[in-house]
Amino acid sequence: MSDFGGMEELLQDFLMESTDLLSDVDNKLVELEKRPEDKALLNDIFRGFHTIKGGAGFLNVGPMVNLCHRTENLFDKLRNGELHITPEVMDVILDATGIVRDMFGTLGQGLMVADADADVLNALDAVLAGEMPGKAAAPAPAPAPAAVAAAPAVQAVASPAPAPAPAAATDGPDWNALHQAIVPQAATAQPAPAAAPAPAPAASAAPAAAVAAVVSTPVQELLPAAEHIPAAKPASKAVANKQPSSAGNSSGPQENTIRIDTVRLDMVLNLSGEIGLTKNRLTTLRTEILQGNRDGNTLRSLDEAISQLDLLVGDLQNAVMKTRMQPIGRLFQKYPRLARDLARQLGKEVELVLSGEETELDKTMIEDLNDPLVHLVRNAVDHGVESPEERIAAGKKPQSLIQLTAEQVGDHIQIEITDDGKGMNPDALRRKAIEKGLIDQETANGLDEKQCLQLIFMPGFSTKDQISSVSGRGVGMDVVRTNIQKLNGRIDINSLPGEGTRISISLPLTLAILPVLVVRACNQPFAVPLAMVREIITIDPNAIQEVSGKPTIVVRDEILPLRTLAGLLGWEPTQKPYFGVLMQSAEKSFILAIDSFVGRDDVVIKPLQNIRPKGVAGATLSGDGSVVLVLDMEDLLSSSDGTNGQVRTSELISV
Amino acid sequence: MPDKNMRFLVVDDFSTMRRIVRNLLKELGFTNVDEAEDGQVALHKLKTQHFDFIVSDWNMPNMTGIELLKAVRADQQIKHLPFMMITAEAKRENIIEAAMAGASGYIVKPFTAATLEEKMNKIFQTMNK
Repeated sequence: MSDFGGMEELLQDFLMESTDLLSDVDNKLVELEKRPEDKALLNDIFRGFHTIKGGAGFLNVGPMVNLCHRTENLFDKLRNGELHITPEVMDVILDATGIVRDMFGTLGQGLMVADADADVLNALDAVLAGEMPGKAAAPAPAPAPAAVAAAPAVQAVASPAPAPAPAAATDGPDWNALHQAIVPQAATAQPAPAAAPAPAPAASAAPAAAVAAVVSTPVQELLPAAEHIPAAKPASKAVANKQPSSAGNSSGPQENTIRIDTVRLDMVLNLSGEIGLTKNRLTTLRTEILQGNRDGNTLRSLDEAISQLDLLVGDLQNAVMKTRMQPIGRLFQKYPRLARDLARQLGKEVELVLSGEETELDKTMIEDLNDPLVHLVRNAVDHGVESPEERIAAGKKPQSLIQLTAEQVGDHIQIEITDDGKGMNPDALRRKAIEKGLIDQETANGLDEKQCLQLIFMPGFSTKDQISSVSGRGVGMDVVRTNIQKLNGRIDINSLPGEGTRISISLPLTLAILPVLVVRACNQPFAVPLAMVREIITIDPNAIQEVSGKPTIVVRDEILPLRTLAGLLGWEPTQKPYFGVLMQSAEKSFILAIDSFVGRDDVVIKPLQNIRPKGVAGATLSGDGSVVLVLDMEDLLSSSDGTNGQVRTSELISV
Repeated sequence: MPDKNMRFLVVDDFSTMRRIVRNLLKELGFTNVDEAEDGQVALHKLKTQHFDFIVSDWNMPNMTGIELLKAVRADQQIKHLPFMMITAEAKRENIIEAAMAGASGYIVKPFTAATLEEKMNKIFQTMNK
């Protein structure tokens, strides 16, 4: 017999959808171990548990609600930076995830699940409470297991404060009273709930009336008034720290469906039809040639057919690519409101001007661009532009202008966010970075102005001492850069103190095809992303200088470290490198020493199944059919930041 | 009594949840229900089709419930529509934000058909005043 009479179908739907969601969470947890401070990841995982909890609540699966609620709270604290991932915390999370998966299994058999292992619940509580005692952070002391199973799910969501509220209210303020406060506002300005039917405790009814009274005034004025509400229940405050930001909310699971203009689809069909015809022609020619008919006419026909195929395949690739292209306006259109709302909260006057909305970009890239762009827009409003008073004092118009533009430049898309605010002060950034212990004094002195601006991309860098309620949540600039780099893009900053800041993002048109430079080292070809290549130089052994024991070369007054590809890979060099590729990865530039070149190519990356060698993004086939490894330079550099790539200078200089 | 034929739009990114809400509405006798998977899709439907009542989740990708609510209230054609916000978070800022944006009602997950009916009736009462 099933414990879910009448709800089996719903249960199956829930299990199917949630199992996918949990797998996604599992994958993200693995990534999280590598990047424990990645806010976007933390947000995704938070949302995963949140959604599962919501569904489980409706199915009255109290134990699952209970478990997911705690895990969700934990991730809320992690993404707010109140707690940090340690191996122990990770163990607890993985345990919890495992139990949720087991629960899915039990539910799949139509049986109600038992409570999660008390050890795991206690461990979660300990993590939640342990590091921040005295803040009432932990959920209510775990109710007795039997009580949880029996109690309605509402109770299982467990409020810290035992609110003597009507049925619908869970934790925090009295919802019915607040609800009453809302409703009259929607209809008339009739002042709140004198006749509130709910038996609301007087203490919370009064502030609720206050809410109704000020409900049309700006947020700044409203919030102090609203402070009274939870005053009676301080415990709700700890939970209230989480405020869903639109940045976080948008990073949900990606859609797997796409809407395509039928004209574009027809083009694909036409081209594949023509390719079919050309294939027939080639088959006929093959038969003729195999039969010994090799006169000039036949060979000419063969040549024609192959040339035609070449054109058609190129056109087909373009046409298929076009089906994935979407106008970036879909993304842009959300930002003006975002900017306006934020500006209003901050008491600033901001106009966000969009241009180039029709610029098309690969669909997956559009989805992945949202979080970084939301962050940049927020940043521009919050940190970039000044208040009207400051602007007037500086002799500017009170209203500030933020421009968001997209444009196709050659085979790249250029996205720029420009503000006319106060700009960034390189010296202030430098000081801040030293204060935060991100760089030492010596490094700081060596940074030029451009490099100082790059400091904002360092993890842990924030120029505001206090994290305001507006920005400072969601992703940081380091995550913005990581996300852009994941798309094989580049991000640059230009800033003039007093005049404003311009942040430029350059992205390839698509992720499907990657332009690469094919180089040789150790008698093997390797492909490096062309986006990172600045220039190619020959290595003159006499030009190699040793700086603090590391080989470097000076190129146009810039001292660049020299790393050999063989060294980075941990291979024995087979010869002295002749050429250097000047690579630019974010703020780091270096020279990659290689043996020789093959040339540039556009490749389609095939991911390697089951194995993931360090520094290898995937493999591709070259024109002659041989396998070429495509290198992931970031990974290669980070995995060998030790001494691997640092060859002794003597190895590079001919004796 | 509300018209049982009134047309609902249920907005949630989690399809199971849409189905739950749809079932609860059915229990209350409302069978004319359409769904949307996020605020953007919902807004498009609202602008091109006729609806009488919106029930939306808060936490969604692309366009959240609160963004949808603000967009609805800013549109002359549909600004009068009753808008019920669903969320798992019973939090002060949330309800204030929803109130400010003009939500007609607010309901916290999980809820029963009875709770939903009670909240909806309150909305209908206010509308008829």
